[in-house]
Amino acid sequence: MTAVELDAPRATQRNAWRLTLGRFLSDRAAVAALVAFAFVLFASFAGGPIVSALVGHNGFDQFPYATNATLDPAGVWSHVPTTRQVRLDEYSNVLPAPKSSPKTLMVLGADGPLGRDEFIRVLDGGKASIEIGVFAVLISALIAVPFGCIAGFYGGVADAVISRLTEWVMAFPLIFFLVYATIHLTPALRPIGWGHDIPAGVPMVALLIGAFTSFYPLRLVRAQLLTLRNAEFVDSARMVGSSGFRIIRKDLLPHLVPTLLVWGAVAVATDMLLEVGLSVIGVGVQASTATWGTLLAQTTGTIYNAGPSFGGGGAGNHHTTWHTIWPTVCILISVVSLNQLSDSLRRAIEPWRRG
Amino acid sequence: MRRIALFLARRIVGGALTLWAIVTLTFLMYWSLSPQPGRFVYPFGIKVTPYQLHDGARRLGATRPKLTQYGDWWWHLAHGDFGHMWTGATLNDNVLTTAPIGPQLYPAIRETLCILIGGAILAVLISVPLGAIAGRRIGSTADKLISLGALVGVCTHPIVTGKLLTQWFGIDLHWLPVGGYCTFVKHAAPQGLGLPANYQPCGGPVDWAQSLILPWFTFAFLFLAIYTRMIRASVSESLHEDYVRTARAKGARERRVMARHVLPNASLRVLTMVGMDIGTALGVAVFVEFAYGFFGLARLSINAMTGDPGAEATDLPMLLAVVTVIALIVVIGNLIVDTLYAVVDPRTGTADRPGRTKEIAAGVM
Repeated sequence: MTAVELDAPRATQRNAWRLTLGRFLSDRAAVAALVAFAFVLFASFAGGPIVSALVGHNGFDQFPYATNATLDPAGVWSHVPTTRQVRLDEYSNVLPAPKSSPKTLMVLGADGPLGRDEFIRVLDGGKASIEIGVFAVLISALIAVPFGCIAGFYGGVADAVISRLTEWVMAFPLIFFLVYATIHLTPALRPIGWGHDIPAGVPMVALLIGAFTSFYPLRLVRAQLLTLRNAEFVDSARMVGSSGFRIIRKDLLPHLVPTLLVWGAVAVATDMLLEVGLSVIGVGVQASTATWGTLLAQTTGTIYNAGPSFGGGGAGNHHTTWHTIWPTVCILISVVSLNQLSDSLRRAIEPWRRG
Repeated sequence: MRRIALFLARRIVGGALTLWAIVTLTFLMYWSLSPQPGRFVYPFGIKVTPYQLHDGARRLGATRPKLTQYGDWWWHLAHGDFGHMWTGATLNDNVLTTAPIGPQLYPAIRETLCILIGGAILAVLISVPLGAIAGRRIGSTADKLISLGALVGVCTHPIVTGKLLTQWFGIDLHWLPVGGYCTFVKHAAPQGLGLPANYQPCGGPVDWAQSLILPWFTFAFLFLAIYTRMIRASVSESLHEDYVRTARAKGARERRVMARHVLPNASLRVLTMVGMDIGTALGVAVFVEFAYGFFGLARLSINAMTGDPGAEATDLPMLLAVVTVIALIVVIGNLIVDTLYAVVDPRTGTADRPGRTKEIAAGVM
């Protein structure tokens, strides 16, 4: 043993991901966004069942006495008779519920003429909305990565065709493609679902949104590969005899992970907003399934169910501004936190780039 | 001059190609999704016999070879009209009556363009000073407030903005009309509809502006947020540029540095963005129109996709007309902005434009 060895400073091995994680966690805004989104996740996936167990009814139960005689819903924090049977007098006027009827608590009141629990529906709606966002991002990544790799790495005719198609589709408002495809594929795809965990309609909306938004990551992947394909490590891989497929899989795909992470965080938020748009138009998930989009659509009306904004007196009249505000606040919290998350991720991954 | 002409020619060819591709894609998409045009002629109930479906399609001319129909569309377009729509087709005494598309389409274009142009001007007018204030001192209280506001603006769906603004300013405060478009020129009340004698349809510049204020703000709120963030970044970057230091070294006042050296460069980027965001803007216009009960291009296209309530089939001629107009707006808008850009910035002929930096706005387009 020599003294030299003892005195030598110990070189700690830290890989790039640990460094990135450290930078990410030392960013206060990033941690705040992470906490906020974790809270939203918890509230959406566990909140509905927990609140249901506490108050004794779920988001599908309809309480006729949660609305008054003109079908206006009960307000915030109201105790509502659980009677399912509406009592009528001989002129078919609605009589008040019997005094002996047990009551149940509606934290945010009822959701409209049907008298469902708005609070549980907002929580359940988060589940469906976040599922749509996440599934759509996964689907568009699945489409974008192979095609982007082919276009960016091989170039030539494949690149020309893919780029031109992307350009054409992106020159046109996306929502029109989405609405058109949804209208025509609804009978075939909407029933797909898995119980209450993945409500029917969620896979359809996720698939369509994912397919039509895959052009953005496709461009990202293509641009990245265009710059990387002439890198020295690609040349050396080629020199030792790697096939193109192996180079993409082994050498280039790892370089795409940061880009896709940064894009993915924002894209979840984007896709959730797209779902809102589809539901408000009336072509997304069916109206009885709670998502943040359908909850908003209840107050605005849709092309099929004319609310005040569609020249009809339908659904919209029995809602207050609060029914717009609850889902909006939820959307705002999750979209802002996801946006911030993406920003912070980019800054943690590429600290040398400003802004 | 020759450079700009060449540049323009290239852009026009590219635009025409885009137009052709969009129309062709629409046409292919329509025929690939098992359409039932016959439903427009026999829209009664859900049960339509196969014979009726075929007969209806034949009467509408939808059984002709696809290529003939495709050529027919361009033939109509070359003659400056859009043909007849299928929606509202009525069969009386073995004669099919269909309405021309033009009278429905032109007012819709006007409404949408009013929202788009006014909203874009408002967005630029507000975002440039806000972005400049935020960008000058990154990290100050003003910057933090503006950035937070921009973040909220980017993350709010226009239908929500629209809904809340109508509720507050229209229904609760009675300051502005709740919805509907008023024409810029005042028209006399239509005769023979049994309207009361003192009925006055809304119209005239004041009514027009009143009916558009909320849509403009709704539209601008989203883009304002995007542009403010961009100008902020651009201003804070260019404050470190050599030409700014030179201007300061010459003794220029801070205001002059901002107004003459920093902001023109930042505005140039906004100009590009405005051009590239026209497609997005039309998507946003869907929700602005829905929120305020306008009957613009977006509503027309959604109606064309779903057909009338009895038919529930897609109205192909109407859809093609709307798609053509939207593509034309995008192409012409891009062309105008490109030309402006080429005139202002001489390097455009050689260098490519900056890549399309789409943010969360993609979510609502």
